[in-house]
Amino acid sequence: MTFSILASTAPILAPRVGKLAIPGRKTLATPHHIPLTSRGTVPHVAHDVMRDHTEINSLYAGLEDFIAKKEPSVYRTPVADHESPLKKFICVAEDMPLILGPRRFPPIPCPPANTNTSIALLTSVGFTQLSAHDYVKAIQKLRPDIAVGMVDLANKQPGSKRRGKMVDRTHAWTRDALEQLYGDAVAEKDKSKSAYFAPVLPLDNAQQSLYLDDLESEFRWDISGLALYESASLEFVPESLAGLPRLLFSEPETPHTILRDISLGADLLTTPLLGASSDGGIAMEFVFPAPAALQEGKSKPQPLGIDMWTADHATDISPLGEGCECYTCKNYHRAYIHHLLLAKEMTAWALLQVHNFHVMDTFFARVRDSIQHGSFEQDVQTFARVYAPSMPESSGEGPRLRGYQLPANGPNQPRRMPKIYGALDDAIQKFADAQSEIATPDTDASGLEEHGFAEKL
Amino acid sequence: MSTTTAPSHKSMPSALTFDRHAKCSTTKARASTLHLPHGSVPLPIFMPVATQASLKGLTYDQLRETGCMLCLNNTYHLGLKPGQAVLDAVGGAHKLQGWDRNLLTDSGGFQMVSLLQLATVTEEGVRFLSPHDGSPMLLTPEHSISLQNSIGSDIIMQLDDVIATTSPDHARIKEAMDRSVRWLDRCIAEHKYPERQNLFCIIQGGLDLELRKQCCEEMVARDTPGIAIGGLSGGEAKEEFCKVVHTCTEMLPEHKPRYVMGVGYPEDIVVAVALGADMFDCVWPTRTARFGDAIVSSGTLKLSHKSFADDFGPVEEGCTCTCCRPTDQGGLGLTRAYMHHITAKETVGAHLLTIHNVHYMLTMMGKIRQAIIDDQYPAFLRKFFSDIYRGDKSNYPEWAVGALRGVGVDLLADS
Repeated sequence: MTFSILASTAPILAPRVGKLAIPGRKTLATPHHIPLTSRGTVPHVAHDVMRDHTEINSLYAGLEDFIAKKEPSVYRTPVADHESPLKKFICVAEDMPLILGPRRFPPIPCPPANTNTSIALLTSVGFTQLSAHDYVKAIQKLRPDIAVGMVDLANKQPGSKRRGKMVDRTHAWTRDALEQLYGDAVAEKDKSKSAYFAPVLPLDNAQQSLYLDDLESEFRWDISGLALYESASLEFVPESLAGLPRLLFSEPETPHTILRDISLGADLLTTPLLGASSDGGIAMEFVFPAPAALQEGKSKPQPLGIDMWTADHATDISPLGEGCECYTCKNYHRAYIHHLLLAKEMTAWALLQVHNFHVMDTFFARVRDSIQHGSFEQDVQTFARVYAPSMPESSGEGPRLRGYQLPANGPNQPRRMPKIYGALDDAIQKFADAQSEIATPDTDASGLEEHGFAEKL
Repeated sequence: MSTTTAPSHKSMPSALTFDRHAKCSTTKARASTLHLPHGSVPLPIFMPVATQASLKGLTYDQLRETGCMLCLNNTYHLGLKPGQAVLDAVGGAHKLQGWDRNLLTDSGGFQMVSLLQLATVTEEGVRFLSPHDGSPMLLTPEHSISLQNSIGSDIIMQLDDVIATTSPDHARIKEAMDRSVRWLDRCIAEHKYPERQNLFCIIQGGLDLELRKQCCEEMVARDTPGIAIGGLSGGEAKEEFCKVVHTCTEMLPEHKPRYVMGVGYPEDIVVAVALGADMFDCVWPTRTARFGDAIVSSGTLKLSHKSFADDFGPVEEGCTCTCCRPTDQGGLGLTRAYMHHITAKETVGAHLLTIHNVHYMLTMMGKIRQAIIDDQYPAFLRKFFSDIYRGDKSNYPEWAVGALRGVGVDLLADS
């Protein structure tokens, strides 16, 4: 893997444009967002839709999505020598850059504690521990293009003792992983081809200085990038490691936050707000740099997205985004998306994902242009002035969430879903599932009459 | 077709042409092409059900890719959401969902009666209590047709008086049959666009063959562009189902399409085709996909079963759907193992299996059609049952053996 920096004003804490090239893979221009997968799929985006109607050119997968069973099938995927069993298993093309981490992103907090040799994670059948050793084995077997190192993260604000542990464990895991993947004891032909991104803990510089020192010296030539868990860490990147790509695992709530992280020097970013918007029925609407037409004399900030649940879209046959070139906008319209959401049809989320991915991909492409033109700082300011500070609220329900997508039940947590059926009403539930096509009117008699559906007596 | 007792009916404009290409020399199977306002449909055909103007997560390009030329929407559901006013404003269901091929809508009567517990049928129409506020309401044949006119579907169905075929009340069955005929007249009178939407009548009469014959006679005299056989797929014995189809097709004109409503298991379809039916619809292939079941030539595979976890073959070897086709042939090369991994867990699992199942059904219909054109349908039937039951004739369903014997094919004979 090679990472070349094409435009940058300072080694750290400055926006930069780069190119991440892995032989035989699609090249990634940075800054870029990393599409997040769930069980190997980009949620609601079928493989052919992804191939034909999106520009998705990299994927992130969490190992926990594949190891529910004692002997996970993913390890038995038949492949040729040069192929990645994980890519083959999830049925994506070999030239798709794939990043593997121990956990999906965003991860569901696990009540069980991490240990000195393992981290707690959540598979579709429950909590389990993944040892650092097994994770390295997984990297060797699954051959992702990029492997994110195992990191000891705390569920809540760690105290000083916990912080010490975090550093010690992560330090040890990184050392061992690099030794097992690329060490002198490994025969040349068995050395891992996966690029290793070493974690930087979400702690102060001083607290992890020993570890960072080792990254700069002993580990330097075995690591290909850095994985960061909060944007504040971008400040602690040692200058000698400035040439490495930085993958930031964070949950920016708005494009404003994304821009801030980019301006602090993030190269690859996770943007769970993309999928969350689609699930919530929000069509993203922001363009970077803010179009000139929007910049003039507008007193009201421009919304970052449209809530497709609201009734004003019912008969609106215009596309989600004016002039938008995405598949959804070229073939469907607001009235249809609105109808699909109300009818709880899966197609709604599929079409919104296609649109939102297009908006996000375009956004990042324009950000790269802007950095290269040297107008980034000014464009960010204008963007902040023109657009609303937060995404619009969704007024509807999202898709049904599965256990592995939800936080654990605790004694003091509210129920995930309202209780509808009694313990013995399993049969009713099954019947309801079997009848899932059935719609019931959600309007009263006058509403039905207005719809021309029937008349009142 | 003026052999009936009914007063002569003025002939109805039709927005379709029906070309019959071949008829099986043994069975009553027909191969034809139905030319509709939004393209030509090869018959016999299976129509997937896009209940609420969407086929379960698929884009319409994905549906097109399966070869589908004609799919269903549900008048009952579209009447509730988005409703007639929206349909009128948007310009119909084709415009709403971005589908440039054909649509068929049912009348909503079936859903009315089966979904709403407090529905009662009177001569005027279906009376029911609004589920929201309990106020009494009335759905008439006129409402149904007016809604379907707004939907703009290429084939629209009359509102019929649907009762369970298994009903023991003979008088009620007869009443429903007679009423369906009267309602057909009201539907014809209300239909605003006969030159661009084809109204199909629906033959009723329960399992009583005499009533079915009467109904055929009455309805054929009304000269609708196509004819449906309704009231089946309600849990009746398969023998009875076959008898009804057989009896009706005997009475129906050769030059009109025949649609058996709500029928969709592959076995039912191949037999009904032999009995002379042309069109079928069923939610089963798409619903079962969402539960992780793949339709294949040997039956169905429950992909959620652990035996598929390490199975790295395609869902069906040799299948040409987008999912099964290898990547070097432009497909996705999906494996059973991966479908097992995501089925019933990710919506994408449902999308992909829906593509496979719809494609399977349409390919099967294509093979049926080709077999009829080649006058090889009896051989097709023998192979079809042999594949499903792995050559074990003792497992062949009696109803299918009996029904096919009635049209000159003995499945049990040595070929």
